[in-house]
Amino acid sequence: MPRLGELERSVMNALWDAPAPLTVREVQEKLDERDLAYTTVMTVLDRLDKKDMVVRERDGRAYRYGPAVTRDAATSELLHAVLDSAGDDRTAALVHFARTVDPSEAAALRSALDEILAMDDR
Amino acid sequence: MTPIWLGLLGLALALPVPALLARSTWPLRAPRAGIVMWQSLAVAAILATSGAGLSTALWLVSVDDPSPWRVVLHVAVLGVGVLVWARFWWAAWTVWRRTGERRRRQRHLVDLLGEPDGAEPALRVLRHETPIAYCLPDRTKARVVVSSGTIDLLDEDGLRAVLEHERSHVRSRHDLVLEGFEFLRAAYPRFLRTDAPLHQSQVMVELLADDAARQVGGVKPVAKALVTLADAPTPAGALGVGSAAAVRLERLRDPDPSNRLVAASLYLFSAAVVVVPTVAIAIPWMVHAWQVLLER
Repeated sequence: MPRLGELERSVMNALWDAPAPLTVREVQEKLDERDLAYTTVMTVLDRLDKKDMVVRERDGRAYRYGPAVTRDAATSELLHAVLDSAGDDRTAALVHFARTVDPSEAAALRSALDEILAMDDR
Repeated sequence: MTPIWLGLLGLALALPVPALLARSTWPLRAPRAGIVMWQSLAVAAILATSGAGLSTALWLVSVDDPSPWRVVLHVAVLGVGVLVWARFWWAAWTVWRRTGERRRRQRHLVDLLGEPDGAEPALRVLRHETPIAYCLPDRTKARVVVSSGTIDLLDEDGLRAVLEHERSHVRSRHDLVLEGFEFLRAAYPRFLRTDAPLHQSQVMVELLADDAARQVGGVKPVAKALVTLADAPTPAGALGVGSAAAVRLERLRDPDPSNRLVAASLYLFSAAVVVVPTVAIAIPWMVHAWQVLLER
């Protein structure tokens, strides 16, 4: 469902950009140009709630929705899961190309690379 | 004697044999066959261990006048057999569920944070200067993730190589291969196991993905991207596995990395490791077991 996924992203960005938790109506107004139905925004927020991405609190007859994690915290959670290759995440995400190497290893890698780059093109 | 032979074989295949094989680098010359070799060693170890348990059970119920030390020995064999079996399935279940949950969480985060494009499997670009490239494998909802830092650091051919490398992991379901070895590792008690099969297979799937990447734009972009990103600064907490980069470059340096002789011997060895114990120990025991059961 690319459309719903795309909407989730927009709604989440609206929540991240807002200084305080928003009601469904307020989210709908923020995404004015997309011309979304009230119920569509509600559905999207429910989906985000199921994924533990938003927290909601009752406000009179409605709810106010805020992001469960800040944008920065979400980014660093991802990076940590990926870069922490000592942890259990080795198979959750097949991680590559992001490794620290010590200077002597780096020098060995560079000289091997130079040899490969000097090879004739076949 | 069958339980003892099978028990010893199971132990040998669980610890010393993988540890010895992990020290030699020649299985890395044929990574596909190398993975098959590790898988058949795993199957053989599990079969031998459970066979040891089964034959012990039969011996205990059918023997007439057992000496105490033989009973102790057999009960120990039976215990390890049952333990490994139970732990294997328990590990399979928990590892499977945990990885699934973690992957789902990461996919949700990546989908909300990353910019989508029309590619298949879906590519997400993460806005962060740390250069990373990885994939979240799945049958239908796989994601390839690169950071904007990676894109800034690489030229076009390099980026193409990196993406092809990751797509190859997704296409070939390398995650399933590695999960199998995780199950196995979790199945054996800590003092009876080695990390060699998992670690070697991790390197081997990298080699296979590099093979796929070089098909697209040649060796040089892959090698350049590998070194550029291996060299890039990563935040504290990231662990260095520089040796994998060296092994990968070594293979990239070879104009024709396919090594039929090594592959053929690995396949032969893989078949032998499963077939020989079955024919030499398991089948005679089954015949014997049948006779014992008929006599009763």
